Amino acid sequence: MNTNNNLYTVIYTTLIVVVVAALLAFVSQSLKGKQDANEKADTISQMLTAAQFGTKAEFQKIGNAAVLAKYAEEIGQAFTVNVNGEKVKDLDLTKVYSPKELKRQNYNIKGGANKTGEPEIPVFVFKNGKTVVPIYGAGLWGPVWGYIAFEKDLKTIAGAYFDHESETAGLGAKIKDDPAFQAEFVGEKPAFTEANVFDIVKGGSPKEGDAEIMDNKIDAITGATMTSNGLDAAIDTWLGAYAKYFTSAAPACEKACCQEGGEGDCEGDKDCENKEVEE
Amino acid sequence: MDAKLKETILNPIFKGNPITVLVLGICSSLAVTVTMKGALVMALSVIVVTGISSLILSLLRNTIPGRVRIIVQLVVVAMMVILVDQILKSFEATYAIDKQLSVYIGLIITNCIVMGRIEAFALGNKPWPSFLDGVANGAGYGMILLIVAFFRELLGSGTLFGIDILNRFGYVPNNLVILPPFALILLGCIVWVQRSIQKDLQEK
Repeated sequence: MNTNNNLYTVIYTTLIVVVVAALLAFVSQSLKGKQDANEKADTISQMLTAAQFGTKAEFQKIGNAAVLAKYAEEIGQAFTVNVNGEKVKDLDLTKVYSPKELKRQNYNIKGGANKTGEPEIPVFVFKNGKTVVPIYGAGLWGPVWGYIAFEKDLKTIAGAYFDHESETAGLGAKIKDDPAFQAEFVGEKPAFTEANVFDIVKGGSPKEGDAEIMDNKIDAITGATMTSNGLDAAIDTWLGAYAKYFTSAAPACEKACCQEGGEGDCEGDKDCENKEVEE
Repeated sequence: MDAKLKETILNPIFKGNPITVLVLGICSSLAVTVTMKGALVMALSVIVVTGISSLILSLLRNTIPGRVRIIVQLVVVAMMVILVDQILKSFEATYAIDKQLSVYIGLIITNCIVMGRIEAFALGNKPWPSFLDGVANGAGYGMILLIVAFFRELLGSGTLFGIDILNRFGYVPNNLVILPPFALILLGCIVWVQRSIQKDLQEK
């Protein structure tokens, strides 16, 4: 048979491409459920890690089902807010925001050609009072994203977990792999009222004696300037978008009357009541 | 088993190793050898891709139009790589490792070993020897990967397969070992050892 015939070549290549495409489409569709389940459990374990319910390695060990159970047990409520800090709608507690949805919201926050609508960004409030919010942005080679957990006061960071698609192993990948880097966030206080909400700085966060100052700065990763800058920008953008929510929801209970053991009459304090509803 | 078939299997493991002798697949062997687990999954993935692509293309070898043979090879190899990636993503046990290997699973398609063996062997040989040739070349690649990963994980993290080996004795993990340049140094050492054993590889 003359395999160099033009007609034969065209038919042959068409046929092989169609067969391969059909096979891949079939496999992709039949495995999609399992892949989504894995991704969901991974996302949830990242949120739980940020909120300090355990370490990522522990969650990986106990498996998907146990992670979902733990989340169902701990999550209090989830809802979306807009950039003015107003609640938009409640979220289904069994669903999570995948990195793909975060990417869409990231475009909405930043505006520009890819904007598809007004930003609606998720807030996850756990039963123990910790609030977890996502961040998303561009690293060096691909997207970086993560979750930042806040204490009940909505001012102090309780923990953080970051993930990435393809940052350099051993350097930029440390945002995910280095627990020491993530631990640096604990206790820091983002400046929600300023334009620059949070900083990842070269040369270290200023220290006073031995006690680290808990401000809005942490030390960047050596050898990973681009990833550090990308993460810094992602945190600024997202926490900036949440700033109004945090400032409007938080100070309500900073009044002495609302704190544990605080004195004063809380009844009739509208802000405090709102705060309780929020939680 | 006849001698020729035996040669097909054994040659890529040592005498004609794709990494140390043919110097193919260097990029991924530097990138995925930080941990043993990653190296093992990568090695198995490459074995599956080289073996089955060689088998399929050897079956098709008499029908492939000569002018578009590289394109047909690419389509088949790409299909295999995507299948492997999809399958790794679907299992709980391999999901995390697939995430860690990230782009490198997809980049198997650009691994010169795969296309090299198809061009050099599968298109001119029967399916069974072609399959064995693909598997053996994947195994030769995987073996080097595991040797490099053994030293990098042991010295770079103090662990093997994530199990603490050296850290309990107060070992401080060496960060240089984690970085790709050290993998290249290690690879150089392996080539050195092989060349001093196998004198016929030395240039006069």
